[in-house]
Amino acid sequence: MEPASEVIARLAACQTFGYHADAPNASEPVALSALALLEADQQPRAVELLDWLLARQNSDGSLGIDADNATPGWPTGWAVVAWHAAQQGPVADVRYAQAIERAMTWVESIQGQILEHATELGHDTLIRGWPWVDGTHAWAEPTAMNLLALKHSGRDEHPRAREAVRLLHDRLLPSGGANYGNTVVFGQELRAHVQPTGLCLLALAGEADPSGRTQKSLAFLSAALNERTTTESLCYALLGLTAHHRTPVEATALLAASTERTLKRDPAAYKLALLALAAAGRKSPLIPQSREAAA
Amino acid sequence: MSQVPSDATPATGGQRINRRNLLVATGVAATAAVTLPLVGRALRMRAAAFVARNQRYDGPIEETIRDGLIATGFDPATIHGKRVLLKPNLVEPTRSCPQMTTHPAVVVAAAEVFRRWGAQVIVGEGPGHMRDTEMALVESGMEDALDRSGLAFADLNYSQIGWTPNGGRASALKGFYFPQQVVEADLIVSLPKMKTHHWVGYTASLKNLYGVIPGIKYGWPKNVLHYNGIPQTIYDINASLPKSVAIVDGILAMEGDGPIMGSPKPMGLLVVGTNLTAVDATVGRIMGFDPAEVEYLKLARNRLGPVDEDCIEQRGERWQGLVNPFQGLDLPHLRPLRAIGERVT
Repeated sequence: MEPASEVIARLAACQTFGYHADAPNASEPVALSALALLEADQQPRAVELLDWLLARQNSDGSLGIDADNATPGWPTGWAVVAWHAAQQGPVADVRYAQAIERAMTWVESIQGQILEHATELGHDTLIRGWPWVDGTHAWAEPTAMNLLALKHSGRDEHPRAREAVRLLHDRLLPSGGANYGNTVVFGQELRAHVQPTGLCLLALAGEADPSGRTQKSLAFLSAALNERTTTESLCYALLGLTAHHRTPVEATALLAASTERTLKRDPAAYKLALLALAAAGRKSPLIPQSREAAA
Repeated sequence: MSQVPSDATPATGGQRINRRNLLVATGVAATAAVTLPLVGRALRMRAAAFVARNQRYDGPIEETIRDGLIATGFDPATIHGKRVLLKPNLVEPTRSCPQMTTHPAVVVAAAEVFRRWGAQVIVGEGPGHMRDTEMALVESGMEDALDRSGLAFADLNYSQIGWTPNGGRASALKGFYFPQQVVEADLIVSLPKMKTHHWVGYTASLKNLYGVIPGIKYGWPKNVLHYNGIPQTIYDINASLPKSVAIVDGILAMEGDGPIMGSPKPMGLLVVGTNLTAVDATVGRIMGFDPAEVEYLKLARNRLGPVDEDCIEQRGERWQGLVNPFQGLDLPHLRPLRAIGERVT
C-alpha cells in the first residue's frame, strides 16, 4: 500500500482521535482528522468527527480542548476550518454553517493582552492578536490558527485578519523563521523552530511581506528539513512551503520516512491527519486559497 | 505539602523539636526577649544537600545519584513498587545548545537508581516553548537514550489532566491542572539544568517543575503562570505537587542569557537532595547568587524547605570550595541577587 493510502486507512480506522495513540479525542486532532478524511472522500468517518465537534461547541461559539475541558478555546479556529471544508462538498449541513457563524463571532471577539512599556521584548506588544488562553498575551500559533479560520471562512479582508497578518509578520525572526512568538528578548534574537514557522507561513500564504522576513523564513524551513525532522514539524513545514509554492523536491521521501516512523512509534490520529494533509500538497484543505488566488 | 522530606523538620538552633525542647521553650516564654529568637529559629526548616564534583556524563553518575539521595535522607525501601516520574528540563532543545537541557545520561542514571530500588519509572516533560514534543526528544538526544534504556515517556503537554487545589496561594490561582502522570506519581524527581535565568536570576529544581504544567491548558509559553507571577507560581506549583526530590545536572551548566540563549559553563557538578528548596539554595550559592534574595526562594523559605546556610546540612563536597560565579545579564532586577557571589570569591 502507498504510504499516503496507508495513512488514510489507519486514520479512518482509529478508535480515538487524540494527540497520541489511544489517547482520547481532543478538539484539534479531531478537526484535523475530519479535514484529512474529507479530502480522502471518507465522508462517513469525517461526519462523525464534524458532529463530535458540534457537540463540543459552547454557547459562546468556542470549543474547548476536549470533551472534559470547555476552555481554553484556542482549538475553535480548527473546527471552523473543518466545518468550512465540509460545506464545500456532499456532506454540507446547515448545522455546520450555523456553527461556523457562532464560532467566528467568538474568534473575532478574542484578543490578546497588550503589554505597554515592554522594552525588553523585540516584538510589537501592542498588536492584539490571539492568545492561547483568554486574558494573556498574543502568540504566534493561536494567531495563525485564527487567521486560517478567518481566511477559510471568507473573511480575508476582515480587520482582524489584517491584524493577524501584521502580528505574524512582526513575530517572524529578523533572521527568518519563527518560534512560539518571541523574536528578541533583552537584545538577543531567539531561535527559530520548524513547526511554528511552518504554521505561520501556512497562514501567511498569499500575503505580501516587504520586510523580507517571509522569504528568510521560507529559506530557513527549506534548509531545516532532514531525515531527523519529526512528523508534526515536517508536516507543518511542508504545508508552509507548499502554500508559498516552495515544495521541496525531497518532500515525498521525507513524508514516506516520517510515515514509517509514525506508524512504528506513535500512530496517533493527530500525526496521521497531519501526514495526510501534508501529502495532499497544493490540494491540502488547510492551505487557504482565496487570497492567494486573488494575488 | 510537597518537598518536605522525613528529615526536614523544624529545628531549634540545629536541633530537632521534641516535646522536651518544646516544654523548655514554653517555660522560657515568660521572657519575651529570650523566646522570640527561639521561636524564630523554631520555624526554620532543616534539610540536607549533597554536592558531587568531578562528574562526567560518561562517568559513574548512577552511583553518585544513589549516594546523594541516601546521604540526604532518602529511604530506598519507601519507593519499592511506587510510581516515580522523572522530570528533565527540555524547554526548547536544539542540538547546538546542549547546555540548555538536562543531559540524557543523567536521566537514565536516575532512572536506574529508582528501578534498582524497585520503583516503576517513567520520564515526563511538557516543553514550554515548543508544541512538537517529539522534536524536543529528538533534538535533546533523549529519544535515543530512552529507547536504549526501555524507558517510557509521557508527553505532559497533552496528557489527560486533573485539577488540584493550589497548596501555596502565593498567586491568585485557585488550583492547577496537572497531567494524570503527575497526579498519580508517588514521587516526582526534578532533573533540571543548572542555569542562569534572565527573569528570576537562576533556575534549578523548583523552576524546572513549571514543565509539569500542561501546555494544552496553559499555552506555549505557559503564559497563564507568567500573568500570575513567576516567583509566586513557582512556589505554588511546588506546594501543590506530590512529594519530590532533586537531581541537578550541573556537569555542563549555562551562564549568561539563560535559560535559553546562554553559554556553556563546564562545572562538573551534580547536586542532589530530598528537599528542592535546600538543593536550589545550595546551587545558587555555588553559582554566586544570594538565594535569600531570589524571589521564589523567599517564598519557599521555611515553607517548602530551608534557604539559610546554617539550616542546610552539607553532604559530599562543601559548596564553599566550589563557588564559581556565573556570568549573567546586567539588569537592574538581577543585580541584588549577586551579592554573595562577590563576597565569597
